[in-house]
Amino acid sequence: MTMRLLVMFLVAGLTAASAFARFDDDGPRRGEPAAQSPAPAANQERDFLSRVRRLTVEGRRAGEGYWSPDGKRLVFQSERDPSNPFYQIYVLDFATGETTRISPGIGKTTCAFFRPGSDQILFASTHHDPKSKQLQDEELAFRASGKERRYAWDYDTEMEIYDYAEKTGAMTRLTNATGYDAEASYSPDGQWIAFSSMRDAYNRTLSAQEQKQLDTDPSYYGEIYLMKADGSEQRRLTTEPGYDGGPFFTHDGQRIVWRHFDEQGLIADIWTMKLDGTDKTQITDFKSMSWAPYEHPSGEYVLFASNKLGFENFEVFMVDKAGAKEPVRVTYSDGFDGLPVPSPDGKQIAFTSSRSGGGAGQIFLAQWNHENAMKALAAAGPRK
Amino acid sequence: MRPTTCLTTVTLLLAAGAAHAQTAVHSPTRAHVETLASPKLEGRLAGSAGEKLAAEYLVKALQRMGAKPMPGQGDYRLPFSFTAGSKDAGSIITVQREGVPPRTFTTRAQVMALSYSDNGEVSGPVVFAGYGLVVPPSQNFSYDSYQGLDVKDKVVVVLRYFPEDADTQTRAAVARYSDLRYKAQAARQRGAKALVVVTGPRSPNAGNIVPMTFDTALAGSGLVATSANGDVAQAIFAAVPDKSLEAVQKALDSGNPHVAGFAVPGLTLTVKADVARERQTGHNVVGYFPASLDTARRGGSPGGVDKPWVVIGAHYDHLGRGATGSSLASKEQAGQIHHGADDNASGTSAVLAIAEALSKQPRRRNLAVAFWSGEELGLVGSNHFVTTPPVPIAEMAAYLNFDMVGRSTDNKLTVQATGTSPMWPKMLEQANVAAGFDLILQEDPYQPTDVSSFNQAGVASLAFFTGAHMDYHKPTDTAEKINYEDLDRIAAFATDITRRLLDLEQAPQFTKVEQKTEGGGRAGMRIFTGTIPDYATEVKGLLLGGVIGGGPAEQAGLQKGDVIVEIAGQSIANIYDYTYALELLKIGQPAKVVYVRGGERRETQLTPAARK
Repeated sequence: MTMRLLVMFLVAGLTAASAFARFDDDGPRRGEPAAQSPAPAANQERDFLSRVRRLTVEGRRAGEGYWSPDGKRLVFQSERDPSNPFYQIYVLDFATGETTRISPGIGKTTCAFFRPGSDQILFASTHHDPKSKQLQDEELAFRASGKERRYAWDYDTEMEIYDYAEKTGAMTRLTNATGYDAEASYSPDGQWIAFSSMRDAYNRTLSAQEQKQLDTDPSYYGEIYLMKADGSEQRRLTTEPGYDGGPFFTHDGQRIVWRHFDEQGLIADIWTMKLDGTDKTQITDFKSMSWAPYEHPSGEYVLFASNKLGFENFEVFMVDKAGAKEPVRVTYSDGFDGLPVPSPDGKQIAFTSSRSGGGAGQIFLAQWNHENAMKALAAAGPRK
Repeated sequence: MRPTTCLTTVTLLLAAGAAHAQTAVHSPTRAHVETLASPKLEGRLAGSAGEKLAAEYLVKALQRMGAKPMPGQGDYRLPFSFTAGSKDAGSIITVQREGVPPRTFTTRAQVMALSYSDNGEVSGPVVFAGYGLVVPPSQNFSYDSYQGLDVKDKVVVVLRYFPEDADTQTRAAVARYSDLRYKAQAARQRGAKALVVVTGPRSPNAGNIVPMTFDTALAGSGLVATSANGDVAQAIFAAVPDKSLEAVQKALDSGNPHVAGFAVPGLTLTVKADVARERQTGHNVVGYFPASLDTARRGGSPGGVDKPWVVIGAHYDHLGRGATGSSLASKEQAGQIHHGADDNASGTSAVLAIAEALSKQPRRRNLAVAFWSGEELGLVGSNHFVTTPPVPIAEMAAYLNFDMVGRSTDNKLTVQATGTSPMWPKMLEQANVAAGFDLILQEDPYQPTDVSSFNQAGVASLAFFTGAHMDYHKPTDTAEKINYEDLDRIAAFATDITRRLLDLEQAPQFTKVEQKTEGGGRAGMRIFTGTIPDYATEVKGLLLGGVIGGGPAEQAGLQKGDVIVEIAGQSIANIYDYTYALELLKIGQPAKVVYVRGGERRETQLTPAARK
């Protein structure tokens, strides 16, 4: 689960020319019906979302909000520490409104997740990297210079997965492989962790062409792995070329839902598979970037984000669990809407959106209308 | 009717998601709004009988809650005087030409003083200075109507507006400096005795005098300044050999900065300006709840905190029957009571509800509760308060402002001036976890409301706002259109924030936000498009909160919710770009407008009209 948001911009930055050649239209793609209805955006969203509200305010950006199993807290990443320009991990308590940083404050972090039945929270971090402070200072100096660049996620090879025990504050390192290890989540019973790793680019000798690939886009080597919650029994589940990332368990614990990019890193789709890596099933086919999947607790459908309607216009969609039907659009807002995560009771949704202006994302909450969602999915036509 | 405080209940119900259940809860704001916006108060114009009735209502509410008058004040009412209006009391222009009998112009259709003119009568030879425009050197654009002209001790005649046919770049550069205040300033700085403004035959409102605007910011222009109609202009230009005013204007309209003005030979103008200004008295209503004793024992200052005051405020005045310039009433609505339910019975009621909720609770700081008058005339009441504060400004930890908070839609609430302290984002985030608004934050404190006065004074401030709407400054801004459910939620949210501020050890640090706009801005605007920008929502482009019925925008098919991203080839990223782009349009000439509706890019043609 990472930077589902940031991946996009990296890809956009690296391969903008080819990207825009293929995704240059802002509106619906050719051959598809035009906008579904002339009603204002807020009204259309009301089919599924009500009482949309901005949750995070402080800091440049925030994202990747995941619920605690009891639904009373949210763990997320945010750039809000003036001395560290990179994401750190925070836990927000809905009862008190208080937000607490749980990550070390040094280096980069990403993608946290509560461990069911435990006081542990996992996330990926680079704080063990001796260069961390230097990298922070360099980034701060760059920002102070007034220069700007497109936001890009850098797949820091020092990124490793840790668990953090809330009672003791102890952190335990779970991965130890050169190459980005991140985008991790626990199984519903708290015994397993699915994650994405780019270790395949570092644990063998690469050909010249492979090395060139690594230099331009390391995410190409991203693959889905599984391990026990203590970091043991690490095993690889995917082998296809192209970035595999953002794995989450389905609520029955039987499958993993993730996103798979094509070799060029331009088209992504949502897939599911069994925990042993068999029965891989593609459930979306928009020929655009569809990513950040998360299953609704009913087990009936998967929410995800796609830029089907315009290269930089990500919207939240949902699709039935088998991918038999055409996905249904959920959000109607210019800019970025993505990383949808339903609450454990399925009645709310946390998502990341740039709808508050300024371009950078913040976390939003809304009431989720599951009944309308089921009706809309039932009424959807067969997958195109 | 005494309102009951049910803030806690409301909060709990909201937390439970039982939104519909609130109808059963007594609203802590509704009765206040209905009273303040009732016809009896006649629109609460500053200095009027309606304002006095409203002040009486607020004084009673403060007394009932147990608030005291501010330290050293015997009364909750803090009076200030202001200019209630100005009219021309007999300006005259006499044109004297050698060998021709003098002609005197005395009617208001012929001569009208500019509202900021000095009173007096002056005589002198005449210099025509084109459009009277001076672009400051800092703008990297050279345009100076006075180049090569000696206007010392002379009467300067200039054209209104700016060159009509100039290229886009020129218009962009000069438009901002075409405000008549700038023109008056430029003339005075060059030693002119008087300024006479003429609306050229090639301009909108050709040949008409400039109506006297109600202008309370009465920094005098330091010279005699009037406008004159086409008759006067003709009498003046009769002295110019071989040139008609129209031909002269045509030459200037190319925008060529080398087209010069000239001295008019053998002509003397006598200009008498007479502006009658009416002074009246308005009343701020301010009371306070002292820091509670048990906490006061903790330290030296009350409550053991630095900066022992928190101020919450809202203006309670409105437009009366809309006789002043800022009424947007249609012809049919002219003279009707402007009830101002949203503007600003809503904010006044929110402040009353917050005061009520906090009146019985312990607090480490003093809570001042302020109701401003004269806001609609230019923040007069709050400016008076911060320039003659009853307690030192340096002792004010924070100011919270409420202006137009009764029309929330889609759960949205705009909080402005968040750039005034680094503390605000965190505090807003924490308080909003319970309140649950779709917050829109704007750092800019230079807002057209009383928060601006406190920002100028250096007090960390916030302003709450739910957005402009079709009833803004019209008689139709009435009490039944208020969204009381969300108004009560806003009061509860702000109560939480106020409570935090009252109890904080360390007052919020004040940060100065640089002002974004400069130049003449809207005062020089001569274009009418009939768009109503939505100032509350930040989008890339200009989001329309509505369009004026029958206006050019409506005729072009634009509607509420459209986002204008380009106009006449100028890309629009924000309201500033839009204002700027409008200055470049030509009246009557269709301009291409690109806009986004429902995620789809569309195009239309909009034909701007003249703003009267």
